[in-house]
Parts: sequence; structure tokens; C-alpha cells
Amino acid sequence: MNAGPALEVKGLSIKFGGFTAVDDVSFSVNRGEIFGFLGANGAGKTTTIRMLAGLLAPASGSARVGGLGFEDGGQGIKKIVGYMSQKFTLYNDMTVGENLDFAAGLRKLDPAYAAKRRKELFKLIAFNKPLSSMVASLPGGIKQELALAAAMLHDPEIVFLDEPTSGVAPASRARFWELIRKITGLGKTVIVTTHYMDEAENCGRIALMRTGRLIALGSPEELKKSAFPGPMTELDFKGAVDEAFLKEIKGAPGLLELSPHGMRWHAAFKDKGSMEAALTALPAGAAAEPIKPSLEDVFIRLVEGRER
Amino acid sequence: MNQFNIHRAYSIARKEVMHILRDPFTLALALGLPVMLVTFFGYAIDYEVKNIKLAVLDRDNGPAARRLKEIFPASGYFHLVDIAPGSGPVAMLDSGRASAALFIEPGFSRKIKGGGAVEAQFVLDGSDNSKAAALIGYLPGIRRAAQVRLTGSPAREPSSFAPALLPGASKKRGSAKLLFPPNNPAGPRQYYPAGAAPSAESEADPFSAETRFLYNPELNSRWFTIPGLAAIIIGLLAILLTALTVAREWENGSMELLLSTPVRPLEIMAGKLAPYGILVLAGVFFVYFVARLVFGVPFAGSHVLYLAACLLYITAALSQGLVISVITRQQQVAMQLGMITGLLPSMLLSGFIFPVESMPEFFQYLTMLLPPRWFMAAARGIILKGADLGELAVPFLALGLLSAGMLALALKKFKTDLE
Repeated sequence: MNAGPALEVKGLSIKFGGFTAVDDVSFSVNRGEIFGFLGANGAGKTTTIRMLAGLLAPASGSARVGGLGFEDGGQGIKKIVGYMSQKFTLYNDMTVGENLDFAAGLRKLDPAYAAKRRKELFKLIAFNKPLSSMVASLPGGIKQELALAAAMLHDPEIVFLDEPTSGVAPASRARFWELIRKITGLGKTVIVTTHYMDEAENCGRIALMRTGRLIALGSPEELKKSAFPGPMTELDFKGAVDEAFLKEIKGAPGLLELSPHGMRWHAAFKDKGSMEAALTALPAGAAAEPIKPSLEDVFIRLVEGRER
Repeated sequence: MNQFNIHRAYSIARKEVMHILRDPFTLALALGLPVMLVTFFGYAIDYEVKNIKLAVLDRDNGPAARRLKEIFPASGYFHLVDIAPGSGPVAMLDSGRASAALFIEPGFSRKIKGGGAVEAQFVLDGSDNSKAAALIGYLPGIRRAAQVRLTGSPAREPSSFAPALLPGASKKRGSAKLLFPPNNPAGPRQYYPAGAAPSAESEADPFSAETRFLYNPELNSRWFTIPGLAAIIIGLLAILLTALTVAREWENGSMELLLSTPVRPLEIMAGKLAPYGILVLAGVFFVYFVARLVFGVPFAGSHVLYLAACLLYITAALSQGLVISVITRQQQVAMQLGMITGLLPSMLLSGFIFPVESMPEFFQYLTMLLPPRWFMAAARGIILKGADLGELAVPFLALGLLSAGMLALALKKFKTDLE
């Protein structure tokens, strides 16, 4: 293992025919980091991490994964990374043991080593069912944890997880993120994609993607600060929406963003002064509560704001 | 690092065996299809036509006419039916109460006694042409028997039949009547329209054709079909099963798992094809043993050569299935495509039932591109004729080229698809 960054990507582009799926993306990821890709479907998250896991070759630009490049068609990279795809990749008609043996066979792991790793990983994911359980009979969350174990059987330095919690019950999602933190605690680097804003808060740093481009990169706090340098308030009309007031606040100087959140509205301002000025006309009965921006607000401002 | 690794291929193969053993559809198809086909073609389908109902209108009532009448049931193919009162032989054909009718004119026995040439007309229902063709095939034998029984000598040509095909359903007897003289040297496959039949002079032809069938002297239809069943089983099983295997990985998403490991496309392909190859080969062995032990089909040629032909054809079929799987990526579509491209060519265009030589020219050329046609030629040549590689050079060369081409296509498609 060398001491350089886990990932180093410069000017990376990936094309499918005439379609540019990933467009001139650059970033680097340190070892032991939880690095998240956040974006809508089709933003290029999956394509990026499939390439970084050695499944696709870059069209242009350079990428080094664990210090390795693509000179050998990604074979070297595949040996030091683990990849868990969005779709469930284990075989439902095979037992837990057979699935893990198969994963070990594909990687030519020594049976004794594979058995040792299996025990370690079962402890990590707190799996206590017999090896002879059919995968089809297991609950969704446990299947997902097993898929992770299969992807980590060869003790990879870097683990890529593509939408690991999509379609999983909320309790299992929280459990899975606990697992991700444990893995980075072991010195591994975890690259994860998600479209759940709340999950993205768990990442050390987030890369926001939109139509193949990287539009923001930083820790959740950094992203919030750069998107919303001023204060944010939540407007609650407690009943009928006052359209006249909304219209007025939309034209207020210093307003950065006004977006609906269910029955409420989030309004962000450049600074405290402009917020106070805009809120003087707040109708009686309505409330304005100062709030901290969420990643969802950041996403709306940075991603959807550009699409308007 | 870039080399083919047998351990990884073995891992894939072992997993594929688990899929086969646990999927009731695959298992039922693999085990059930050979049994079903052998039962169908061995027992239910028989090209030999027997128990043909023959109505005889005997206007002669002499001793020779009686002897002629007896020859038909004695052949084992016919039994005589009485002409219903108020009905005639043609009416019997029209109503389906008889499939053939024999007309013996007055003076038949007298002419025979006098040593002259005689004629009897044989009319048959042409609405079922496979039955009619089989019937016509029996006539030369009947005629030879008649010759001996009526005159005691096979040397002369004392009698002849003028069979006519009568399309029972259309009832256009006059215009549809076809005649042929069985003693025509061109043989029974040549038909003449009504009135164009060669006249009695031809009976004086010094030349007479004798037919003897080599390799399958009794023209036992099972000897012909059962060896061909291997082609159907390989075609259908190999193509259908492999068409599903890669499509299933794509549909489930497990292909991503395979691709994320250092496993190479060639290893995946070999690992996936090997178990199905063995399964299909087991089906071929099953048909072989049933053919030999149950139906007594002779095996005249080399077993090694036959196995080689099977392996070549299996390679082509497995590759074809893989190409389908890679192109479709969906089990449903792959299955339909596999069914059509697996069953139809091997069943209809291989010569299994319909001889390639009697197809329109375009189809004859088309069949040259189909591995089952060459396999069928090689298999029948080896099993029934005992032909060697030199005699089967063309089918083997064609089969080899088509297999290699299909395998190369599968490899290319598979590799570019995964990378």
C-alpha cells in the first residue's frame, strides 16, 4: 500500500457513442475518507464509479486508483477495490456460503483465507444465520449487507458502493451507514453514491454532479456555507398561502433562494440585513423560523437552480 | 495476468451447475425434451402407411381377378372393404370409406389365360398426399407379386396398373386425374396427366426398373428419424439454455459482480458453456442408447467420428445461444429467439423430415448456412451408411467452418459487450 491519495482523477471524460456521460471531472480522495457522489439519476455518478472500479475505461483524462492506472485494462484496479453495484448482485438460488465461495473463486482466494475473511465480515455485519440459508429467504437489508461482504472478501483498500441503500427499509439504511463508518474505521476508503440527501450528510466530502459535470465539491458544511453564505428562514403561513407576500419576497433585494418544502417555504438571503428587511411585511399569523440549510437546500440551489 | 485462468472458469461452471440443478425449468427442459422427442418420433409418428382401405370393383369375376384381389391384403398394407350397396368405388373414396379403389374390367382373366397384356386401374385418394405418396411407393412391389401370382413368371409383363390420384375433397375427378404406368422405366415418381399416359406399347419395353434400397432395406422410418433427433436436441437445448444464461446475469445485475472481479470474458464464456455442453451431450447419449437398444437402429460407422460431429455441432449451437443472449440481454426475448432459431432450422431445413434436395433452390442454398443440415448429413452418413471422414469431407468441413465462425462471433460479441 502506498501513501498517496486513494483516488486521483484529472479531466476525466467518459463517452457512450455520441453521449458524454462524464464530462471533464477532476477530484482526489484521501485514504480513509467517506466520499459521496450526490446527484439525480443520469447525472453520471454510476458511470464515474464504475470506471473507478475498473469496469469502464476512461475516454480521456487520467485516473489513478490506489496508485494504479488503466494500462492493463483495469485488471490491477479490480484486485485492490471492491465494488457493489446498484442492483442486487448475489444469486438468490444459491446459499450464503455458495455465494461467498463463488466470490472467493472468482478472485482465486485461498480457501483458508476466504474462510477467515468470511468470519471477520460476518462479525462486522453481525450476520448470524447459517451459511446454508438460501439468499432468497433473507430480508432485503441483510441481503445488501451480504452483498457488501461478498464485495469485501478480498480485503480491498477502496470500496465502491453504488446506491447501496436504495430500496432498503429506513432502519436498515441507518444500519448500513453505521457499517460504512466501521469500514473506514478499518482504514478503508469508501466511495458511495446516493440520491438520499439525508444520507449524504454522513459523507466526509460530497461531489455534487449534474449532467456529467462536477458542480460542487466539499464537506456538507462547506457546501452549505458556499451555497448559503447568509441566513435562512423557514416561512410557515399556518394555513392559506399569502400569495401577495410571496410575490413581494421574491422581488426582495438580497434573496438568494425561495423554495417550497411541503406546506412551508425556505428563503435564503445574502445577509442578515436583507432578511430582516424582507420579513417586515410578514403577514400576521405567519411565522418565520431561522433554520440551518440542509443538503437538500444546497442541492436545490446548486443543481436545480441551474436548470430553471 | 492476462492469461485464461482455469480456476475462475471452474468457479463459473460450478455456479452454473447450481443454477441448472435448482431451476425446475432448465432441468425439466434438459431431461424432458430428449425423452419427449424420442417418444414422439419413435412411437407416435410413423411414415409407414398401413391398413389402407381398398374398395375393389371386380367386373371380371374370373380366377385371375380373384388372385389379384388377394395380393393386396397379403402385402400387409391393405385390407379390402366392401362397396356399400348403391355406391361405387369412387363414391367410397369421396365419402372416405375407402382410401384406394381397384377397377378390374371384364375379360381380365380371359386375357391372362390367353397370354395377353392386361390392365387394372388403381385409383387413390390424393387429398392426403403423404399417404398417397406412400401408397404409390407400394405399387411396384404389388405389381411384381401380381406378375408372379398371375403368370408364374417374373420375366414377362402381363399386367399393369394405371393408378390415378383422386383429390377426394375437390371432386374434380376428370381434370385432376393423374395417371402413371408403373412399368415405366422412369419409375413411380413420374406422373402423367390424364390421357397422356404412355399407351400399351410401352408395356413391350425391353427394359424394366428394379428398385432395391441400400442402408435401410425395409425403409424403416425410425431408422431414418431417430438418428436425426440428436440434431433437434442439440439445436433446441443448446441454443435455448445458453440463450438464457447470460441474459439472466444481465437481468439480475449479477453481471456487474462478475465484471468487478478480475475474471476475463473468455473465462466467463467457457465456464458458462461447459456445463450446458455436457448436458446436451448427455441428451445425445440418451437418444443414442434408445435408438440402439429400443428401436434397434444399426450403427454402421465410427463412433469417434459421430462424437466429433456432435461436438462440432454443439459448439456451433452453444455459440449461437450465447450470441442471442448477448444481443437480447432479456430472458423473455432470448427464449423466443432461441426457440425460433433453434427449432425451426433443425426441424424443417436440415433434412430431418423434408429432404433438402426437394426444396426450392433458394432454400437449398440457405440450408448450406445452417449447421443442422451438415450435422444431419454427417450423422445419417455415419450411422446408416458407415461413411468415413473422406466421404463426409464436405459436411465436416462445412460444420467445422460454421462452428468456428459462430464461436468467433460469440467471442467477439461477448467481449465487446462486457468491456
